[in-house]
Amino acid sequence: MIPVCKEIRRDILRISKTSGHGHMPTCFSVVEILHAVYSTLKHNPAIPLWEDSDIFILSKGHAALAHYCVLARFGYLLIEEVNSFGSFMSDFGCHADRLKVPGVEVSTGSLGHGIGVAVGIALGLKLKKSSKKVLVLIGDGEANEGSVWEAIMVAVNLKLNNLTVIYDGNMSQLRGLHIPNPAERFASFGCVVIEINGHEVDSLKMALSKSSNFVKVIVANTQKGYGCRTLVENQYEWHRKSPNEAEFKILMEELDAETI
Amino acid sequence: MRRQFRDTIMDLASQDAKIILILSDISVYLFNEFKDKYPDRFYNMGICENTLISIAAGLSSQGFFPFVHTIAPFATERSFEQIKLDMCYNQFGGNIVTCGASFDYAHDGATHHCYTDLAILRMLPGVEVIQPGSRRELDILLRSQYNNGKTTYFRLSDYPHDIAIPTEYVNVEFGKGIVLWDSSSKLTVMTAGPILGNVMKACRDLGVNLVYFHTIKPIDKELIARFKDTEILVIHDAFGLYEAICEVPNLSVSYHGLPDKFYEGYGTLQDARREIGLDTESIRSKICSTKEKLS
Repeated sequence: MIPVCKEIRRDILRISKTSGHGHMPTCFSVVEILHAVYSTLKHNPAIPLWEDSDIFILSKGHAALAHYCVLARFGYLLIEEVNSFGSFMSDFGCHADRLKVPGVEVSTGSLGHGIGVAVGIALGLKLKKSSKKVLVLIGDGEANEGSVWEAIMVAVNLKLNNLTVIYDGNMSQLRGLHIPNPAERFASFGCVVIEINGHEVDSLKMALSKSSNFVKVIVANTQKGYGCRTLVENQYEWHRKSPNEAEFKILMEELDAETI
Repeated sequence: MRRQFRDTIMDLASQDAKIILILSDISVYLFNEFKDKYPDRFYNMGICENTLISIAAGLSSQGFFPFVHTIAPFATERSFEQIKLDMCYNQFGGNIVTCGASFDYAHDGATHHCYTDLAILRMLPGVEVIQPGSRRELDILLRSQYNNGKTTYFRLSDYPHDIAIPTEYVNVEFGKGIVLWDSSSKLTVMTAGPILGNVMKACRDLGVNLVYFHTIKPIDKELIARFKDTEILVIHDAFGLYEAICEVPNLSVSYHGLPDKFYEGYGTLQDARREIGLDTESIRSKICSTKEKLS
């Protein structure tokens, strides 16, 4: 685990403990993905609405806390602002609002929506003859939604080679509707698929940087709760739970013990 | 009315390069000329209504004015959450233009009947809900609303009311109701959209007041309040208008329209209306009995 991703996880743990909110296992599965996205996309945190920015959409909106912490690392906001996470007057909800948080392009939360909006944005950019790219992060549980596959079909049909879909394969649906072989499925829909370890930042950056003439899907194999053994082994218990003081201490120790 | 939609959008598209037409495999032939003239602004995108709404939201975020056009129940009831979140909550407005609502497709059965669209969409914050009853109303309202950044719903019908609302003294204006007859009666009939044809025929010699709406949201509360001292009878072949009128306080108002059961028949629009009690004779009988109670 690279140091900055460990620091981001510390932020997530601390804010989850303080606020009493957070989907920690999900947040932990996407930290490297989000870090790699903001390391490779064209953007300007000082001007969030910079017209040449590539566009990133967190379709699996419940990983909002991880998104906020990564946005803070990249200078969109101060991490202290996120301490109000989920509280009445906060701008930082458990699912993000694009009108409140700089760097958030689409408000998401209900699964299977962000990817369709991403397809519309990618089409709009094509029509404007813009070279900007659209990246959208979906979850494997989210891919239970039919609208995900509708969006993929349309994107492929429209030949939207400015669209990259990142699939967080954190095995969240092993107890429900698990999708085996997602890479094969996306390929069968006509996408170019790159399958990687979603916790290896360099692999992610390479996959993100690779140009494609077709809709690109990066199947990022991840682990829910990656970085804390307790979260990994008890991911369903921790899905929406936040740690008390004693649990926080244990989770921090587990995170510290992770090899860098 | 769909032909008017085509004519108006053809005209608008010639002046506004931001108009994008998205079809769900309906009216494709009708828009051949649009397709030929503006191939990169025409998409027969697929039978995937949820995604079409999301895509329209994405296009809107990039400064375009999308028009999603398909059959009413699939665009609205099926895609309600996409309209709610992707268009409304995100403030990525666009135009949803449907056909076949109420019982226009009576012969297709209950899967294709749609009478909740106006009611459910008017509950979404910021949405404009329009039920034009004639080609002229559609033309005027489409031109005035399509590019205002809001989510606007246009419910077209293949059976317009064909009543020439006198243009010399009645403007068709978004958000404004129209007083067709003010007979100083104790009974005011209020209606909207194509069913005006039947309503007008039913009460032409009954001396009632008649108020017509093409805009369901925002409803013209000021106009409704003018009739608050009369008994108001709402006659409509959908839900939504009655609920909108009831937002005006201190009214005595009742609804003659859809019962709490499916129309399970087929046949023509006229068959469906007769069965439900929205043919001219049934409407006349309802108005007469309401009038009698008042006297």
